[in-house]
Amino acid sequence: MTMASGLLQPPALWWLAALRQPQQALKWTLTQWQQVLRQARLLRLLGRLAEQISQAGLLDQVPPQVRRHLVAETRASRWQVGSLLWGLDRVADVLAGTPYARVLLKGAAYIGQGLSISAGRLPSDIDILVPLHALADAQTRLISAGWREPELDSHDQRYYRDWSHEVPPMQHPMVRMELDLHHNILPPVGHVQIDIHQLLTRLQPSRLQGWQVLHPEDQILHSAAHLFYDSELRHRLRDLVDLDGLFRQFVRTPESWSSLQQRAQTLHLGEPLALALHLCATWLDTPVPAPVLRLAVSEGLGRWQKVWLLPLLHSVLMPAPPDNAEPWHKSLASAVLLMRHHQRRLPLRLLVPHVLHKLRASKRSDA
Amino acid sequence: MQVQTLYAAFPFVDDGVWADVHLQMDRSLGWRRWWRPQVLLRCDGSFPFEPFPADGPFPFFEWSCNWMIGRRLNDLLLLHAGVVERDGLALVMPALPGSGKSTLTAALSLRGWRLLSDEFGAFDPELGSFRAMLKPVGLKNQSIDVIRRFAPEAAIGPSFPKTHKGVVAHLAPDLLAVDQRHVPARPGAVVLPKWQAGAVTHLEPWPAHLAFSALAFNAFNYTLLGQVGFDAVVSLTQQCPTWNLVYSDLNDALAALDALWPSIRAHHDLAPA
Repeated sequence: MTMASGLLQPPALWWLAALRQPQQALKWTLTQWQQVLRQARLLRLLGRLAEQISQAGLLDQVPPQVRRHLVAETRASRWQVGSLLWGLDRVADVLAGTPYARVLLKGAAYIGQGLSISAGRLPSDIDILVPLHALADAQTRLISAGWREPELDSHDQRYYRDWSHEVPPMQHPMVRMELDLHHNILPPVGHVQIDIHQLLTRLQPSRLQGWQVLHPEDQILHSAAHLFYDSELRHRLRDLVDLDGLFRQFVRTPESWSSLQQRAQTLHLGEPLALALHLCATWLDTPVPAPVLRLAVSEGLGRWQKVWLLPLLHSVLMPAPPDNAEPWHKSLASAVLLMRHHQRRLPLRLLVPHVLHKLRASKRSDA
Repeated sequence: MQVQTLYAAFPFVDDGVWADVHLQMDRSLGWRRWWRPQVLLRCDGSFPFEPFPADGPFPFFEWSCNWMIGRRLNDLLLLHAGVVERDGLALVMPALPGSGKSTLTAALSLRGWRLLSDEFGAFDPELGSFRAMLKPVGLKNQSIDVIRRFAPEAAIGPSFPKTHKGVVAHLAPDLLAVDQRHVPARPGAVVLPKWQAGAVTHLEPWPAHLAFSALAFNAFNYTLLGQVGFDAVVSLTQQCPTWNLVYSDLNDALAALDALWPSIRAHHDLAPA
């Protein structure tokens, strides 16, 4: 189906299929296992692989050296998920009774819905969203409950206030993870701006008391937009695995595919959806119907993007061999994509002064 | 060079199939290399640590390695403790602040006890035994000279004066410890050491609930292991008689532990030696 779109076909990462078919792992030699453990750990996919293997009842059939690492990573992941749930429980308590929406984003949302992609995650922070008009109230309540904001210089304060879709990460002595409080899913000054009200009117219940989640289509589009507009892409294959899981879980009928594409058009997120569909289909065999992929690519990607952007994305997503320095063409690809990423977040007239400020600040901290 | 000296007794594995942790040390290539050379540690394609000065990389290598072990090997309960073995039984010495556990562990390992680790009490909950986490023993400040005086023949590597923990030097594990590094040791006894200037050696039995907190609340990953960690520490406190040891003289402290040992053998139903 990817050939149907006539785009460059990269080599897939050989062990990724085991995330869906864990019995494949039983054929691996110890040398192959060693490579998988190292790459999967780097990509934050080891916990996921471990959970798949233990859910399939195969844990006792892998070599003992490997089994130890799978057990260890499963424990680390469950502990981390437990910490996230505890943090959410505390924040829900602080925000209980407020009239506005409280929304789980990203990993917290997947865990809060019990999606299959939540098994084996290693969440690193807690992402939540409230409407912009409620942001100050939520902040005040959190601060009076012991959450602390970092000390920022005036530039960074201005950055968060005017240019960002979240407030500075908050910390609490009783919660091990930082809290990222958002009022939008993308920066308000970026290349694509999201009318958040369109998302807030379609919220759905989660399994966690006091929390809602975005509509499944909006979860997919948020994940894609976050990956392609708001992330450094190196070592981010995990996000594609998430997207693959979301497509498989939520988009199963021709109607739901066309509804998703409609939604992407409405929110002006056709480009990240096209990239997500193309990359998921190539890397993870996501069952995207050929006409859907063709339409998404022809509407979402220009000629330039097909020729330049896709090869760069493939190159950056592929993890380098763990012991070698990164080849120069990969570093170059990363640099180009990083520039694109920053430019999508901030227009150049804001980006240039921001980068200069960061350079000066890092010189000061070096000295 | 330093690695060759301090890991001298270990076999050198050039193309091993398996390792739990891969660390690679490179000179960093930034512009700083011309006036302040630095070293960068790579682990599985990521760089988990800030670069450090190139003039004393060995202590940083050891700390980084310990950090990776402490973070990664959650199949084991990783107590912060020195462990030595005799008669198949592990003597576990949890590190309370200022306890001098590394000094005592080093001294025991120089008098016939088998060294498992001066840093990690690596208890395998499935096996019910301690695994060796064998690396050079890190000695700090005065304890370097204490050990040199205690055992002039000890294989102590170069001193690194400018680390964030003061002067650091390392004692190389001996051949016995290296040969048996894959042999586990079952729980024998817990000793809570406390070095106190001028103190007369004093060894007294210690209640199990205090042993519990000394073991659990100094561990690297007790909370992460959840129920597994709790059950493991409970079983350790049930199996191991615990003693509190106050000392100032190493020879004296070792004599007291030697005198105590027959009762620990008896506790575990071993015939008198």
